[in-house]
Amino acid sequence: MSEAVGRLRDRAAAADRRRLAGVVATLVTLAGVVVLGVVRPGSIFGDLLSILVSESTMSSALRLSVPIALAALGGIFAEKSGVINIGLEGLLIISAFVAVWMTETTGSILAGFWLGVFASSLFALLFAVVCIEFKADQIIAGLAVWLIALGLAPFASQVIYGGPNTASVGTVPTLPEVLGFLPSPEAVPQRFDAPNVGVAVVDGAVEALVGVVSRPFLFAADVLLNASLSVYLMFLMVAASWYVLYRTRFGRWVRASGENPKALDTAGVDVSRVRYGATVLSGVLSGMGGSALALGIGQFTGNGPTMVNGKGFIAIVTYLFGNYNPVGAFLSTMLFAGLDAMQVALQTGGIGLPGSLVRIIPFVTVIVVLALVGRTRIPEAAGDHYESGEDR
Amino acid sequence: MTLRERATALLARLVDASAAERFAISFAALLLSIAVGTIIVLVSGRVTECTTAAFVLTHPTPFGFPRLFAVGFCYDPVAVYDRLFLGALGDPLKQGWSPLSPLSGGPLNPMREGWSPLNRQMAVTLRETTVLIFTGLSVAVAFRAGVFNIGTQGQLVVGGLASALAVLWAVPLVPAGIAGTLVLVPLALVVGALFGGAYGAIPGVLKAYAEANEVITTIMLNFVATGVVGYLVLNHFKDPNSAATQTRSLPGYADFPTLLFDPRNDFSLLALVVGVLVVAGVAYLLTETSFGYDLRTSGLQPEAAEYGGVDARRTVVSSFALSGALGGIAGALYVVMILGKYQTGVPSYGFDGITVSILAGNNPLGVGFAALLFGVLKSGTVVVDFATDVPPQLVGVLRGLIILFVAMPEFFRMIGRRAESVQRRASETADRIAADGGDPDE
Repeated sequence: MSEAVGRLRDRAAAADRRRLAGVVATLVTLAGVVVLGVVRPGSIFGDLLSILVSESTMSSALRLSVPIALAALGGIFAEKSGVINIGLEGLLIISAFVAVWMTETTGSILAGFWLGVFASSLFALLFAVVCIEFKADQIIAGLAVWLIALGLAPFASQVIYGGPNTASVGTVPTLPEVLGFLPSPEAVPQRFDAPNVGVAVVDGAVEALVGVVSRPFLFAADVLLNASLSVYLMFLMVAASWYVLYRTRFGRWVRASGENPKALDTAGVDVSRVRYGATVLSGVLSGMGGSALALGIGQFTGNGPTMVNGKGFIAIVTYLFGNYNPVGAFLSTMLFAGLDAMQVALQTGGIGLPGSLVRIIPFVTVIVVLALVGRTRIPEAAGDHYESGEDR
Repeated sequence: MTLRERATALLARLVDASAAERFAISFAALLLSIAVGTIIVLVSGRVTECTTAAFVLTHPTPFGFPRLFAVGFCYDPVAVYDRLFLGALGDPLKQGWSPLSPLSGGPLNPMREGWSPLNRQMAVTLRETTVLIFTGLSVAVAFRAGVFNIGTQGQLVVGGLASALAVLWAVPLVPAGIAGTLVLVPLALVVGALFGGAYGAIPGVLKAYAEANEVITTIMLNFVATGVVGYLVLNHFKDPNSAATQTRSLPGYADFPTLLFDPRNDFSLLALVVGVLVVAGVAYLLTETSFGYDLRTSGLQPEAAEYGGVDARRTVVSSFALSGALGGIAGALYVVMILGKYQTGVPSYGFDGITVSILAGNNPLGVGFAALLFGVLKSGTVVVDFATDVPPQLVGVLRGLIILFVAMPEFFRMIGRRAESVQRRASETADRIAADGGDPDE
């Protein structure tokens, strides 16, 4: 027994070491780009650095991380409860389509957004019934959810709009657009004027100091004022998910249902109901992601892999990399979204790399990260059906 | 529990189910998907707008019985499935013939006059079947080894481009005509298999030596394959005389010789025969050889296999390579037989291969039949698109539904048990009535 525990611990330690190696490798790569960019500003690294630290890259990284981070949060709840939801991609697709369709039908972005969330939750409920009630294999059922959504959304778009792309609707507003008293991002100054004393040396020093101290705040203000409400929803959900998972009774049940369902059952909690709750919650969160994605652009495009284009699968990798912690998942999402933002900037910046090659950078990164992280310690009972001892 | 163990449990369950039950479940799943598809067609027929209803749901009005309701739909589900299944076979039945009134078309023979099994649409059906046999086998081999290969699409794309380039490279070296065919076609298949296999081995190596989840890596490698191949075609191998992103055309003799069917149909019976032989070959490999035994045991019982001396890592890599090679051959067939060049925007044969394999219970022999069914669906899609207003993406939805329903055998067993108990109760009641003397006035 103790030998087995020891082996498990060794394996967990090995996984931790590799995750650490992954994080260190990422940081070293980033640091390398920064150093090379500063030393040789004319090279490709200089261009990369300027793209990396620009406000527009940060803004688009935040915008791009919304669907991934929200889907990842959903995936965490489902998998922590013992239901591996590989159909996150499908949930994103279905909510993205319904959000645009319903925004057009109801004329309200808010209604469209939440109806998109509702559609995704219904799909997640269907998935939960199939997995929990009918004991389907979770991986295959998840693939089915993805493939059904991948067919259904372009089908519906064809029926309603006569093509795989929908009509254009409004987009989710930014904070200053909703709260009129906030300054627009253009109104934020690029720098503060330092007070003038009259002594040249002191003035120079004060100006430099004010510049250095105020710069991060101005940067943050610019990025945040430019961000749509979806970005704030993401921040809120990351914090709320962490709180629910680690500080509430429901969160404790979810974790127990994935790690040791028998103990939870013995304690008198219905494992199936916890799993239903967590899986539907994954639909709610993914739905927010899909609605935010489509209403961030104001259109659903359904050609090929649709506008979701693998974001649901990237979400799975981000929470594996983030070790099932909502905050960790958010940070690794920022890594992927940052890469995605960079590839967009690289393409528009015309750095000489062909677009179709730059576009695969995030996918290659996913593979490299997975290889570095290797086997994650997934919840003990994830993927298992739980049979309560009682006869039903 | 790892993915592998889960796959094991799944496979064990699938093997437990007897062949007959598995067939019944697949058949029931298919019927249920068609039923759900009907509802989707009807609902979307209400959502969209049209001037005349294609389908009216109402009741018969005998003896001047008043019409209580009549709901019009823009799409006619009967026409959809008629076009989908019969259209794919080239309309074998007489106009107006139906199984409910077999004599309405005159004598008992329901076949349409002038229908030949060698018609154009049939050629399309069989040509799709041929490619799907290979993608289906590709997925099935991986499944049997206890790994998920969602990356057949990427392996097909890589194998397809590689075989096109190999043939274009070899064309100046070989004589034209039948001698060229004898060299070029096997070359295309071998190169497709090699490149598809090498690309398929990547997720195998990542899984065996870095424990990277193969579901995710294979899906990511699909995106990578499409991107890299698109880049290569556009920037290095593009046909300068074409607006499309495609390679130069292969010569006409770099193709399977056509037998019986019209050569314009891009289908060769010979390729189908090769497909059927490969089905038999894979079935033999899995059941009769020691490699197949190792592969199946490490799929079913990885611990036992390892205890019995099977190198689990090598088995994972080699089964992924075999799976990728089959996907690569599918790509080569698509290039050589169907297109005669490589062009970006390959149809989703790889994803359909997943459905084919799951529907067949990952049994190579079953893959043959499931591939025929999906060949009908894919070919029928074109007819549906041509003959009705229903969007052809419907078949994509059916594909997902079939996977979903096949994945929940418990659902059908539950229904079966319930039907059984109802039957038992009915017969018990009947027994009791008989014992009571069957007084109906009781």
